[in-house]
Parts: sequence; C-alpha cells; structure tokens
Amino acid sequence: MFTKTNIAVIAAVGLTQFSTFAYADTTLNVASAGSQNMVDYVKTYLAPKFEATHPGVKVNVVGTGPGDAGSHKIMEKLSAQNDSGLDKWDIDVAVVHQKIGGELVEDGLLAKYRSDINTGKMVSRDSAKNALGINVDGYVMPMFHSQTAIAYNSDFVTNPPTSYDELVKWTQKHPKSFGYNGIKNGMSGVSFVTGWIYAYGTDAEKLSSTPYDKNVESSWDKAFAELKEFNKNITFTPGNAGTLDMLNRGEIFMGPVWVDMFYSWKEQGKIPPSLKLSLIAPGMPGQPMYYVTPTKAAHPQLAREFIELATSPEIQANGIVKQFNWYPGIDANYVEAKLDKATWEKLFAEITPNDLSKYGKSFPIGPYFDDIKEGYERNVSN
Amino acid sequence: MRQTTSHNLLKNPLWLIAPAALMVGIFFLYPLGFSLYSAITLDDGSITLSHLNKAFELYSNDILFTIIIVLISVVILAVLSITIAALITLSPFRSLTKTLAFLYRLPLFIPFIVTAQMMRTFLAKNGLMNNAFVASGLLTPMDTVSFLGWSGIIITFVWKQLAFSTLLISGAMAALDDSQIRAARNLGASRLRILFQIILPQIIPTLGVAMVLSIVTMMSVLSVPLMIGTGSPTMMTADMAFRINSYGDYHVANALGLVSYCICAGLAWFYLRQNLKEKGAN
Repeated sequence: MFTKTNIAVIAAVGLTQFSTFAYADTTLNVASAGSQNMVDYVKTYLAPKFEATHPGVKVNVVGTGPGDAGSHKIMEKLSAQNDSGLDKWDIDVAVVHQKIGGELVEDGLLAKYRSDINTGKMVSRDSAKNALGINVDGYVMPMFHSQTAIAYNSDFVTNPPTSYDELVKWTQKHPKSFGYNGIKNGMSGVSFVTGWIYAYGTDAEKLSSTPYDKNVESSWDKAFAELKEFNKNITFTPGNAGTLDMLNRGEIFMGPVWVDMFYSWKEQGKIPPSLKLSLIAPGMPGQPMYYVTPTKAAHPQLAREFIELATSPEIQANGIVKQFNWYPGIDANYVEAKLDKATWEKLFAEITPNDLSKYGKSFPIGPYFDDIKEGYERNVSN
Repeated sequence: MRQTTSHNLLKNPLWLIAPAALMVGIFFLYPLGFSLYSAITLDDGSITLSHLNKAFELYSNDILFTIIIVLISVVILAVLSITIAALITLSPFRSLTKTLAFLYRLPLFIPFIVTAQMMRTFLAKNGLMNNAFVASGLLTPMDTVSFLGWSGIIITFVWKQLAFSTLLISGAMAALDDSQIRAARNLGASRLRILFQIILPQIIPTLGVAMVLSIVTMMSVLSVPLMIGTGSPTMMTADMAFRINSYGDYHVANALGLVSYCICAGLAWFYLRQNLKEKGAN
C-alpha cells in the first residue's frame, strides 16, 4: 500500500519535474540603458516580435536609467559578476552608450559576435568599429545613431546661423534668446560644449582618435574663456527636454537639441511646426547606442538571434526610423527600401545627408572628453 | 543547565539590541564608513587629500551656493511656519484655522520630485503663475520673469518643507499649557506679545529640531536642483551625481559627500551646544 503510494508520489513528482522542464520558459534577460522611451521600445516592440518567433522564450527587459549612468550600472553589474567568477551572467543582451561600450570591450566583458549574425555585414558607419578611440570591431552592433543640432524658431529667426562664429554673433545681437543646459543637465549641452571645443580648441579628427596627449588641454584656455563670455549672453535651461520646453513656450528662440527628440516632440504636437533644425559648422557630435552581449551570457545563441532581429532592415525601418526618428544603426541603403518615401524624407528634411556627413561628428575619446568636461567645470562654471 | 544558559543570555541585555544594531551597522555605518574612506584614499589604499582638493577646486562656488540657498530657505521656512502655527494656535476664527490646518499638511504627501516638476511648470517665464498674472491683466507678457534658478530652488524647498516644520511647531505649541496663554490674555497681553514672550521661548528646542532636520533634507535633495536649478552654480548633490554619472569618479563624489557631511555635522554641533546651554541654565 505504502510502496504504491510512494511510487505514485515519486512518479507524480518526477512527471512534474519533467514536464516543467519540457515546457520551461527560457528567459532572455535584456538590460537597456537610455531614456524610458528606449526601454519601452525594447519591451513593447522588440520583445513581442521576438517571443512570437521563439515559442517558449520570454524576454525580460530591465531599464537601467538614462545617460551614461544607465550604462555604468550595466558595466558595474557585469564586472561584479566577472570578479565573483560566476559561470553564467544574468544579462544576455545589453543596450549601452558608446563610451561604456568601448570600456566594456577593453575590460573583456563582451562577446565578439558580429560575424555570427546575418545583419553584421550591413553595418557601414565607423562607429561600429571605433568607440571613442577604442577598437570595438566585431563586439557591437549600433542600434541607432543620434545627432545633436541647433533648433530655432523660424518665425523669429529668418537667417539661422550655419557656424559657431555666426551663432556667437547672433547671441550678441539677441541676448538671452539662445538657451542650452550647461553640462550637468543633459547631453545636448555637453554636445554643444564639445562642438565649441571642436570649433575653437582642437579639431574633431584629432580629439576623436588616439593616442591621447594630456598637453592638448592646455591650449583650450582661450576657448573656455570665450565660452564663459558667451554664457553671459544666454539662458540656461533645465535639461534636454527643458530646452525644447522653453523653445515651445517662446522663452528662447534657439538651442541645441537631440534630433530624434525634436522630431518626436514635433510629431506629437508638443512643439510648434515653426521650429526647425540647423547643423552648424564645424560640426556637433552625435552618438550611437550599441547592442552587445556579455562573454558569459546564459543564452548566447538566443542573444545573437535577438540582436539579429533588432538590427534587421525591417525592424530598423519600422521601429527605429519610423517610430523614433532615429538614424538607423545599419547602412541606410538597406533601410531605405523598407520605408515609404515620406518617412524617409522627413528624416533628412532639414539636415541633409550631406550636412550629416560634413558636420555630424563623433564625441572625443574618453580622456579628452573628460578633459573637456572638467575644463568646463574649472574654467567656465567655477 | 539549558535554562541557566538562556537565563544568562537574557541577563545580558545587549543581545536584545543585537538584530537592530546589526541592521544599523550593515546598512548605515558600513556604507558611511566606506564612503568616508573612499573620499580620502587612492585606489591602492594610500591616504590622499587630492580628492578633497579637486572637490574644492572645481566646486567651491557650488559648496558656497548650497550653503547660502539652504540658509535662506531655512530662515524663510522658520518665519512662515511659525506664522502659520501661531495663526492656528491663537486665531479666534476656528473654522478658518481648521481649513489652514488641513491645507498646510498637503505638501507632506507630495514627493520632492513631483514638487520639482510642479514648480517647473508653475514658475517658468511663460508658466502657470505668470500666465495667470497676464490673464488677469496685472502683467504684460514682456514683464514676466522666470523663477527657474536659485529663487525657484528656494521656493520649492520652502513649500515642500513647510508642512513638516509647521507640523512639528504647531504640535509643540498645542502641547503648551493653555493656562499660561489664558493668564497672559487676562492680564491684557496682545496676541503678538503672547507669541513672542510666552510661546516662542518655550518651543525653541522643537524649532531647532525642525530646522536642523529640514537643512539635512534640503542638503540631500537631487531632483530639485536638477529640475529647477539652471546652469551654474548648482547644488552639491547635482555635482555628486555628475561626478559619478559622467566620470564614474566615486572618489571626488565621496569627497563632496564628506564636505556636505561636515556642514550638517557643524549645524548639528551648533544646535546641540545651544540645547545643552539652555538645559544648563535651567
């Protein structure tokens, strides 16, 4: 009697074990840095698409916060798991900023996977190989490219500036009408300051390539002094969105913004149609976000398939370009074929592909970038 | 035998606080000690003042700015919360004071970040407040001024902390012996005189607690300077966040933390000293 019950119990337990194993949901952990809209994109757009083609797989998306800070958290977690000698790390796919992407590669925390996926060869931009001076070739897939530019109210500004020089003259004539967010309240301000150094300090080509030379910084004193002078004629805004807010309310007539945020707000009617963009000489920096997969991801194969889906021309066209007005991560030629003409042209309406190739710069390599920010703190804001 | 052991265990009352002490140790003292340590050491563990030097070199303006903002806020806060508490205690119009007592508590339930966002749309140049003035004909759009900046930070701090400090102060006022006030009134003292000569001297310790706690709270808020403060100078919390987010530099951030800890500790020392003096005089 007892033996029978025992056997039945064991069989039942065994069966549940077996069946749960057979139908177990595999969980693919995706960690995304960046603003909430990016996390939402991965959660509500990419994850359902991936789950539909991979039955039994559940995508678990975690947002780690906007800006470099969000990417930092991913790096801190991965290096902690590396230091503690774990066999399997609990992040399968991560979306990180350019700077941290390079540091992750340097620390040996990422898998070299680009040649394993079909979309790997569709990448053409330099940022897929070079992250602020660090060779990341093979380790990263750009998710999208984002660019900063000067937004202006065309009702009041008929002749928008086309260079930093013209902008300085414009602010002298129209004090307090230009606004940016300094360097502590968002990347559009950091980008503006970086562009200022490209214009009056050292050119972008030198600062975006290695090797690093500490002495370069000492030649920027004049540029910072002029920036301090420039700052007296302008309005400070509280953040990236804050600049757009103030443009919208007519409190300023010009200011640096992220192109994708600008177009998205315009589409949602949050800023008036009279606002337009101008990418000024010698250029302003932009940056990509990267899809990466850690060396010891628990599900390396699924991670590659996920990234392959996310960087396929269809998803890049309908998700990245159409929904978010970002510039695609893979070569634009592959994406153009999947898009209607109107959407494609909207992306290049005010900033032409020509402008983009001439004035779309990348951020400087890490040490120069830190020098610029610290130089600003030391010479301009203190 | 077993009984004696457990008896002995209970005899030593230190065991009773062990769980709580462990919690405090692990979650408060260890991180505090660790960040103080990190503020004065290099990565290899040798002691250095370079982080503190850098903190002062880059952020001395911001440290001064923080102190001034917090002090101005706390003075306004003291005046306003004493006024409201006194109105509630001394005003003869009971229904009005009941409404006031309900209203002043509202900010207590609103987090700092929500307050900051509210103030951001309220205080902007073309924000709700200025638009209301323009619509009522008091101002023209050209005359409006943006309060985003240092004044906005002070307004937000005062508005948010007002509920907390008024609650403490009016509580202390309500706890006073009513007969003193009645006696003073019988002898013909005006309400103002009752406030300054009878009530205030007795609630000074509570006022001190409310102000010191408010200062510590204001020193630690990040959302308000980030969302309302514009450009530079900014408050120390924004600098700390920037050091970590932008440079991954925990040392200088901790050094700034050490500075802000010293400021708070200085105030606490001042307050304790005052408190002890009063106790000694009695």
